[in-house]
Amino acid sequence: MGGMGALDMSGSLFSTTLSYLKDVFSSVRSILESCVTAIPYLFSAGENRKEVTEQYPDPISSRTADDLPSRSRGLLFNDIDRCTGCRECEKICPNKSIAIETQSGSDPAKIWVSLFDIDFSKCIFCGLCVEECIPGSLVHTKQYEGAVYVLDDLKASFGRGGVTPEMQARWAANRRTHENEEVGF
Amino acid sequence: MSFSLFGERLKTDVTNWEVGPYHLSLPGPIRLSLKLDGEVIISGEVETGFLHRGLEKCFELHSWKSAIPYADRLDPEAAVFGELVYCLAVEEAANTLVPPRAQAIRIILSELTRISCHLANAVRIARAVGAETVLHYLLRDREKIIDLFELLTGARFSLNFLRIGGVRADVTEGFIERVLDVCDLIRVRLKEYNDLFTFNHAFLKRTINVGVLSPALIKKYGMTGPNARASGINADVRKDRPYSGYEILDFEVPLGRGEGGTLGDAHERFLIRLREVSQSIEILKQVTEGLPLGEYLTPTEDKAVPEGEAYVRVESSRGLLGCHLMSLGGTAPHRVQFRAPSGFHLQAVPELITGLKLEDLSVVLASLDLSISEADR
Amino acid sequence: MSGQGPAWAILLQKVFGLQGNYPNGLLAFVALFFIYLFLIVPGAWIISYVDRKLGADFQARVGPNRAGPSGFFQPLADFLKLMQKDSQEKITTSDLLWIIVFSSALYSSVAVIPLGSSFLMVDTDLSAFIPFLSALVLALGTMLLGFSRPTVPGWFGAIKVAGQAFSGAFPALISLLTAGIRSGGFRWSHLANSQGASPMDWAAFSNPFQFLALIVFMISGLVMMCLPPMEGVVLPINMNGGVTAHLYGRRWAIFRLGRFYASFLWSLVASVLFLGGWQLPEQVNDLLSDSLILKQSLESILLLSKTFIMMLIVIWVSRVNPRTRVDQVTDFAWKVLSPFALLALVGSAIWAGWGLLI
Repeated sequence: MGGMGALDMSGSLFSTTLSYLKDVFSSVRSILESCVTAIPYLFSAGENRKEVTEQYPDPISSRTADDLPSRSRGLLFNDIDRCTGCRECEKICPNKSIAIETQSGSDPAKIWVSLFDIDFSKCIFCGLCVEECIPGSLVHTKQYEGAVYVLDDLKASFGRGGVTPEMQARWAANRRTHENEEVGF
Repeated sequence: MSFSLFGERLKTDVTNWEVGPYHLSLPGPIRLSLKLDGEVIISGEVETGFLHRGLEKCFELHSWKSAIPYADRLDPEAAVFGELVYCLAVEEAANTLVPPRAQAIRIILSELTRISCHLANAVRIARAVGAETVLHYLLRDREKIIDLFELLTGARFSLNFLRIGGVRADVTEGFIERVLDVCDLIRVRLKEYNDLFTFNHAFLKRTINVGVLSPALIKKYGMTGPNARASGINADVRKDRPYSGYEILDFEVPLGRGEGGTLGDAHERFLIRLREVSQSIEILKQVTEGLPLGEYLTPTEDKAVPEGEAYVRVESSRGLLGCHLMSLGGTAPHRVQFRAPSGFHLQAVPELITGLKLEDLSVVLASLDLSISEADR
Repeated sequence: MSGQGPAWAILLQKVFGLQGNYPNGLLAFVALFFIYLFLIVPGAWIISYVDRKLGADFQARVGPNRAGPSGFFQPLADFLKLMQKDSQEKITTSDLLWIIVFSSALYSSVAVIPLGSSFLMVDTDLSAFIPFLSALVLALGTMLLGFSRPTVPGWFGAIKVAGQAFSGAFPALISLLTAGIRSGGFRWSHLANSQGASPMDWAAFSNPFQFLALIVFMISGLVMMCLPPMEGVVLPINMNGGVTAHLYGRRWAIFRLGRFYASFLWSLVASVLFLGGWQLPEQVNDLLSDSLILKQSLESILLLSKTFIMMLIVIWVSRVNPRTRVDQVTDFAWKVLSPFALLALVGSAIWAGWGLLI
């Protein structure tokens, strides 16, 4: 019998029987001890013995996004008004989840971010892009529920869209007005 | 319909049986080709590679910094060790100093990961012998540690927290207190596990004298970590070649004692891991008490690392994890090669399982703490 | 009300308010149907629910709580789901063989279940052995389940099940004999009437050898029928898959229901043999001597409560402890259970015959 060890058969009948009985007794005791350890859980006695199931998504006992720590790396969000289009995030992303297209904006110094797509089907939520973002426009939200029915819905678009001819005309007009003002017309 | 019940002869000679790559009782996708004589395994062969992802090549395609998430995924359960060994290798090649505070934070993360991995291994052993209750208790306590990871780094498993020259951010408020709380909790729980499971007679019967690793076998295949220490071989990288601040810590490495069974059986490996958990708690207490002030990151610009090579060893929860880094002065590593401990443990499996009964196979494989993702990369 | 016929026939006629003489065969059929519908199926429901909730309690979990109030309808949901699924392979002769043997082993003994002083359909001199024999045939059915698959887990599992069943049958039989020694026979009525209502009068507490026999009887029943916690051989988690690894859907439902029934039957027999059966206290018996139905119902409820408690204890032990290897189980049965069973037998015999010896 494996766990009963090698019974020492060289002893007398009495000592063999005694060691056999001791083995049986100790095994019964260890089984009973294990059973007894589980008893406090029946009564949820104390902090350490409560049930720990998180019944997501039941509000009875599930954590919401607000319960998560502040550094939690959830779905990404880009505040396009602060984004300077520097493309650091696109460069650092380990698997090219960010696609950026830029055009020149209302004046030569500004960049118009026309396309800023994050493909969450590729994103590994490592946070390197957020770390690299110089203006701090790209942040992690605490949202983690991103399941969709159609794969294409996993692309999040933060861009402003392409520059239309009307916008270009308006900007050109503004520039001319400013230039005229500077020259002192 | 032909009556096929006894049409096939009862196979009483040696049977060939292939298990895997998907099976409940395997530690991951491996294929075992077993020759069975009744219940006893006469010989076995292990086929790996089912989880090969070309991880080492991925390092060459990205910059030094954006390769760190890949290092995470060397062994997803113990992400910090992959990051740590890579960052240490780059720091050695680039001669970057790591501030003491960052080293202390790295130690905290390493030891927490060690505890979490050992608990996960205990879960796998409990599942192999069919002990459901202790399994759930272990998972419950592991959740507390994973929550700590989320508190510090923002993610539960793929931390992406270490950087070349330090760590990404400082500890958050309340983190140290939470770490100490978790340490106290785990200490209480260890006693509970011992009452419930460690010395349970049925568990002893399944693991005593089963799967004995002799020191000769260990030396032959280069096995390290708790598997080796359970057989009495005193080898721990934290003591032999201290790194990242382990020099100043005072701790003892648990060794197998062979009481109650054979030195190096599955029970000894289980016990060793529990003792290492309590040892890690000691280390955590030491580090959190005297957390050095100062910088958490030596700023390097994610630029070139000078030409050269570096080889760094780290004591991961499974054994000696090594990283060989070659740089040609470019923006990305030229070659990164990992020495994963599980690969060497897997090599010992065919010799270890000869003579084993079939029902013991899953217990022995679980007690070796294999990570197939690390072995296959 | 006709005064002739066996007590259970009279009872049944009273329950359904029948007049006149009906053939016993028809009444038997009705009785079996009655037992199955109102006893076995609700029993399986309740035990399955309690097993899951109790197991969840031990493991710091919540357990089923969606299907119905506190998850009470979970067994129904399980049943409906299992009925919709089945293995894609066609049912072969070997499959049919194990299903037939399995089912006949179990449900044939429904008639033998003692449920009260009058609800005893088979009250012969050897009636206590019949559940034991059906348990052996159950082991045969499980073995045939293993043989129905031409795979390594199938053959090896089958032989292991057979070996384990034999090793458990011997101590079970011996402890059954021990119970008979005290009561002087194996009739259900003898066994029950030799015990009383209060725990002091139960067979288990009348002498230490009988108590030992109770323990051995319960454990060897678990061993013989591969019930938890001795179920290592049928568990799919084992490397060799176990004999049940290929079962899904309807065939798995048959196996599970069979396992519940085996455990229920064994606990019921243990309650009758050792734990006082259905005996109500003397005063209650006197009060109710007129109303047969009420007396019978109370007796059944008492007996089923004892059965339920035995099954709960087994569930508790099996949830908390790990499983041993099959050769360790058989070792345990041959080298520990059997000697203790023999000790109980000899001790009981001496105790019973002490008066003659002195």
